[in-house]
Amino acid sequence: MDTILPMLPTDLRRIVESVPAPFRQAAEEIRIRERRPLEMIANGEYRFVTPDGGLVRTPEPAYRPSRDDCAKLLDMLTDHSLYTFEEQLKRGYITVAGGHRVGLAGKTVVENGRVKLIRDISGFNIRIAKQVVGIGRNVVPAIWDESSGTVHHTLVVSPPQRGKTTLIRDLARLLSSGGWDGGPNVSAGLKVGIVDERSEIAACVKGVPTFDVGPRTDVLDGCPKAEGMMMLIRSMSPDVVVVDEIGRPEDAEAVREALHAGVRVIATAHGRNIDDVGRRPAMRELLAEPIFDRFVVLAGGRAGTRCEVYDSRGRPVGVPTTVRDNGRAIC
Amino acid sequence: MLKLIGAVLVLFAGTMYGFLKALSFARRPRQIRQLIQALQRLETEMVYGFTPLPEALRSAAAAMAEPLSAMFLEAAEKLSGDTGKTVRECWREAVESHWGRTAMSANERDIVIQLGFTLGVTDREDQVKHLRLAASLLQAEEETAWDEQRRYEKMWKSLGILAAAFIVILMY
Repeated sequence: MDTILPMLPTDLRRIVESVPAPFRQAAEEIRIRERRPLEMIANGEYRFVTPDGGLVRTPEPAYRPSRDDCAKLLDMLTDHSLYTFEEQLKRGYITVAGGHRVGLAGKTVVENGRVKLIRDISGFNIRIAKQVVGIGRNVVPAIWDESSGTVHHTLVVSPPQRGKTTLIRDLARLLSSGGWDGGPNVSAGLKVGIVDERSEIAACVKGVPTFDVGPRTDVLDGCPKAEGMMMLIRSMSPDVVVVDEIGRPEDAEAVREALHAGVRVIATAHGRNIDDVGRRPAMRELLAEPIFDRFVVLAGGRAGTRCEVYDSRGRPVGVPTTVRDNGRAIC
Repeated sequence: MLKLIGAVLVLFAGTMYGFLKALSFARRPRQIRQLIQALQRLETEMVYGFTPLPEALRSAAAAMAEPLSAMFLEAAEKLSGDTGKTVRECWREAVESHWGRTAMSANERDIVIQLGFTLGVTDREDQVKHLRLAASLLQAEEETAWDEQRRYEKMWKSLGILAAAFIVILMY
């Protein structure tokens, strides 16, 4: 939260700063829409914010950001350099220093049937990234492959906003530093490579991770996943490759490549459960083969999220652990 | 005796004034050239290097001489600072506080300030267009500046001395 404040223009910063501390510190999202009520979400509940930082349920007394606020916000979020975010703008979001993802909405400019860029940006959704150290501690034993001394190919499945990225960030940290369970069987850390297409996992600033992703971790920042996985395998000889949100055909190809290179992959995919993921064409092949030996499903409502682990035949492995309770991430 | 000292002083002051004027005519085209080169460097940094604006300004400043480098540096500092100001405001403030030390005219200043309106806020294609537009406008100014230098530099040098000499003659 503290890293996002300097990126807000003066007026908005003052308002957000005057929001009561417990709510502010727990904030997950700040939603700024031009001439519509300012909204903040924390602990799975939304509130509108009044000009003096009060929290209300009704939109009428809320502060309405002006056009100027939005223009300034965009300017500051992009470090006064919108042109460096061109690729990301096409996809509708940018990742700012600190690993926060900012979703954008506005008028799209279409060229040859594809979105070229978004202009007149009037809606911002600042998703505040938080590192929860230790959230993956109970997951590691379930995905650990004792016979080969590394992890299984693992796919983390969950709907948006349940902590996929938080989980694989912590998995990368744990595997990289080793000794995750204090047991004698895992003393050394593994070489971990992260392909961080959206700069969300490691939140690199000038190529250096700002989140703790472990001492033996290499991060390829801002690189397309499929290409990045191949680059890492060739250049950095990782034991484990961690990628976020695979789903395109070329991603599937790269995962297959990694398999033959003897590298283990930890990936995530959007979906409510494994069947959901299997309905997507590119993923269907991957699941049919089967490549992934472990599936980590983040299930349950927003308030309480359970982390369940299944093997390739759909049998549960280990005991489900609660990773989020009452909207709050716990370890 | 007193008259003689006065005459020498007048002569000296007149000559110096003439030289100073001549010098500013000589400095103007050179500074415009520097500014154009700085814009080209900025373009390379921004468009091909994807360098964020504050850093691009810093690296452009490193290749320039005073007082232009100070202007670029101040803009960069303001941008990376926690001021909550937009590029347009930071750029204008930096230009206005340093322009007095340059030999350039109001025409160039308007072009440079105008550039601040679009700097950083559009996509790369558009940034290139605006940077090139500013550079070509400055190029036109540079030509007139060279022209003026040729015409007025020598004139001011001799005019200073001659005017001083004229006053001295009148005094006696």
